[in-house]
Amino acid sequence: MVRKSRGRQKVEMVKMSKESNLQVTFSKRRSGLFKKASELCILCGAEIAIIVFSPGNKVFSFGHPGVETLVNSFLNRNPPQHSGAMQLFEAHRNATVRENNMQLTQVLNQLEMERKRGEDLNQLRKAGQTLCWWEAPIEELTLPQLEQLKASLEELKKNVTKEDARTFVLSVT
Amino acid sequence: MTRKKVKLAYIANDSARKATFKKRKKGLMKKVSELSTLCGIDACAIIYSPYDTQPEVWPSPLGVQRVLSQFQKMPEMEQSKKMVNQESFLRQRITKASEQLKKQRKDNREKEVTQAMFQCLTGKSLQNLNMMDLNDLGWMIDQNLKEINKRFDTLKRETNSQVAAVSVAGPSGEHPSQKAEVLTFEVNNDNMQRQQWFMDLLNPQPQEPLGFGGHDEMLLPFGDNNENPLWSNAFFP
Repeated sequence: MVRKSRGRQKVEMVKMSKESNLQVTFSKRRSGLFKKASELCILCGAEIAIIVFSPGNKVFSFGHPGVETLVNSFLNRNPPQHSGAMQLFEAHRNATVRENNMQLTQVLNQLEMERKRGEDLNQLRKAGQTLCWWEAPIEELTLPQLEQLKASLEELKKNVTKEDARTFVLSVT
Repeated sequence: MTRKKVKLAYIANDSARKATFKKRKKGLMKKVSELSTLCGIDACAIIYSPYDTQPEVWPSPLGVQRVLSQFQKMPEMEQSKKMVNQESFLRQRITKASEQLKKQRKDNREKEVTQAMFQCLTGKSLQNLNMMDLNDLGWMIDQNLKEINKRFDTLKRETNSQVAAVSVAGPSGEHPSQKAEVLTFEVNNDNMQRQQWFMDLLNPQPQEPLGFGGHDEMLLPFGDNNENPLWSNAFFP
């Protein structure tokens, strides 16, 4: 089986040699890193700032509650403030985060389902191709086959147009 | 290592929360380190926990300061362009996932419509289809016809260059005829007629290999008694 990605394979901890792979790796791992940081904040009430420079020297940063406040806290050696008012604000914000997380989970689940459906449809198509020559890709058809398929499709199109008109009429009467 | 899906909410149990924090913090530091090494880039992490007034950092306090000054030297706009917090990060991910979902649905729809087209070609009735289905079906047929016509052009060009390259006095025997003979058929809506027509087509054509084993196999996978509705799901919310 051809693997699409190197998940669950051991990766050597040295700088990647191929430039194109390096860029992709950076993109994916940066995203995953921020995701992990985000989870740690939610699960354990941590406050985290991460700053990352890209191979192209752009800077990406994640901060909860915010990059700048945390950076200042660090530089001034002042632990982050948690006043009463802040706590209320944070509680409200945490509720928003929970909602968004639920929404994200929902979308990801739907995506998973649709991908599976896509796989099933692919299988269906493949199976059909072994039984019916007209289901093969057009490049694989011979000239006579193309002629026959074309005529057949044109006929079908006529019927579709007729049925379309008929359905329309039915729907408005 | 747990394989249970962890609910993404504040862990109420104090000891569980502390244990989780320790593990995940370690993992996070490892990931930053790996990112830095694999991609040869500068990075830093600052973690404040409820368990310590001092933050835990990577790579080291000095290392963090270096990266921070590098960061602060950049113009304000560059700093904030790719800056996210929890909310904006989540929204980004939601947007990206939604786009992927939309695309996947579109692809699936096209595959579905193509299937329906094949079914209708072998005689399945059009009567179960609604307006939207019919529209999509018509579109798919047009697309296929376009592709077929393009293919004709390509083939004609190829055979023309073949004819030019080979000087022959007479017909070239087994080779498919240069002029595509348009095969016309008695056009007929009757299912039986259509089935018969397809069976005629699939009976051994001369030398053209059909590429599939199929002569003796079931010619009409979707017979008259196909109970499955074409459009079994309410596709669009």
